[in-house]
Amino acid sequence: MDTPKRILVACGTAIATSTVVAKGIEEILKERGIQVITRQCKASEVRSLAGDADLIVTTTPVPSDLGVPVIQTLAFLTGIGKEEVIEQIISELQK
Amino acid sequence: MEVFLTTLKAVIDNLGATVVLPIIIFFVALIMGAKPGKAFRAGVTIGIAFIGINLVIGLMWGTLSGVAQAMVTNWKITRDVVDVGWPSAAAIAFGTDVGLWVIPIAIIVNLVLLVLKVTKTLNIDIWNYWHFAFLGSMVYMVSQNLTYGLVAAAIAAALALFLGDWTAKAVQDFYKLPGISIPHLTTAPGVPFAIFTNWLIDRIPGVKNWKVDPDTIQKRFGVFGEPVILGLVIGLILGAMGYYNAEQAAVKILQTGMNLAAVMLLLPRMVQILMEGLIPVSEAAREFMKKRASDREIYIGLDSAILIGHPAAISSSLVLVPIIILLSIILPGNRVLLFADLAIIPFVVALFAPLMKGNIFRMIVAGILELGAGFYIATNMAPLFTAAAQNAGFAMPEGASQITSIGDGFLWPQFVFTKLVDALGVIGLVVVAALLVVAWIFYLKSPAKWEEAAGAPAKK
Repeated sequence: MDTPKRILVACGTAIATSTVVAKGIEEILKERGIQVITRQCKASEVRSLAGDADLIVTTTPVPSDLGVPVIQTLAFLTGIGKEEVIEQIISELQK
Repeated sequence: MEVFLTTLKAVIDNLGATVVLPIIIFFVALIMGAKPGKAFRAGVTIGIAFIGINLVIGLMWGTLSGVAQAMVTNWKITRDVVDVGWPSAAAIAFGTDVGLWVIPIAIIVNLVLLVLKVTKTLNIDIWNYWHFAFLGSMVYMVSQNLTYGLVAAAIAAALALFLGDWTAKAVQDFYKLPGISIPHLTTAPGVPFAIFTNWLIDRIPGVKNWKVDPDTIQKRFGVFGEPVILGLVIGLILGAMGYYNAEQAAVKILQTGMNLAAVMLLLPRMVQILMEGLIPVSEAAREFMKKRASDREIYIGLDSAILIGHPAAISSSLVLVPIIILLSIILPGNRVLLFADLAIIPFVVALFAPLMKGNIFRMIVAGILELGAGFYIATNMAPLFTAAAQNAGFAMPEGASQITSIGDGFLWPQFVFTKLVDALGVIGLVVVAALLVVAWIFYLKSPAKWEEAAGAPAKK
């Protein structure tokens, strides 16, 4: 079995919106049989934690020079365009 | 009916928030259309979060109360109002008698104002309904009248929508977030401070051209963005000030440092559990409200957490942390011992940015004004804040320190509401509601002008 991919989920507090995103990703990817480990962090911590992640999903702007793919999205919060973002996440993970 | 209500209240009071809130959340989620299994798990999770938050608050409070007492003895400084942080404030707010009803109330207020075309914002950010509950709880505590508290919470929900609408264009333009508004009562109350600061600085020759570079700040002040290290360092400093002359001083100082570092990591984790429990409710509420909202242009109201990653918000907050720690020491009459909410400052400054075009120097000045005033508001309001915590069932030992938090204990809306109700009773609520209605009428008459004042780009 593959090792689970690591997704770093960032928002302003590492509490509110990132919990919604992290739980959303876990739930849907589990349904599709993809194992991931999510970790939540604050936007100001992204730089120091990015090295351990395969993908960063964020609800707030983060630096773009981290060397890890970044997806910035509000879809998990608003419900609009959620499907597309999930496809995008899956395709990034399969690279 | 009367007997039924009295019995119900007695039962609720006996069970406490850790039992009652799960039951209420279960039913709210069911009514909104969540599946029973999910609704049940949501309720239980929220109860667990309350127990967890209570444990961490106990650790923090025990540690900080001891230090605060020792400081009075050693240094004759009274800093006996402990900043327990917004995560605690949110848990307290949801746990009071007002908090139990705030979700349905705020949803009804929002839907009514949408249908009447007064607001454009659909506030799907259920989590942040705690601000309305907080405001309502303070009014409840000061008036001892639950109805007043519930009405105050409803007015607060409307106030958030108003502030969200008013600042929406500025947010959408500056942060590049089309269709979004931020009806968030930690962030939006800062706008008047930003308007005033701009007005003031534009009148000072030389200073009006000052700017600060965000990158240098993030490099030099980066440590102030790491809560655990910040907690450890503050703990060690406070410990040293409190216990340098105590028996086994070194042990006590090191323990204080580690305890406070632990709080900084554990408190947010506990609140994550609360958030996790609320997800099924907020998703169900989102669909419930969307179905009933008309299909004209609406803004989706979200948490200001989505703004906080912006370099202007991060940088100005990093500088503000040491400044307000200094203020907490030198301001005469202040009794607040800052701690857990040093991490919330980006929320306070986030809506300064559009008005100030991301000028960090100006954001810092506005932050100093808002938070400086906040020390006095918080010191004044601490007894009510502490009473609200007791009402929510958090263990507050008699005779120890009082509590507050920057979000929202430092901010003006709860202060204005509470003082008016305290002075005028029900008339106070009428005055608040009337002020809001008047502001709203003026805004709807010339929206473009108001939005420009809040930092939206001028229409050509």
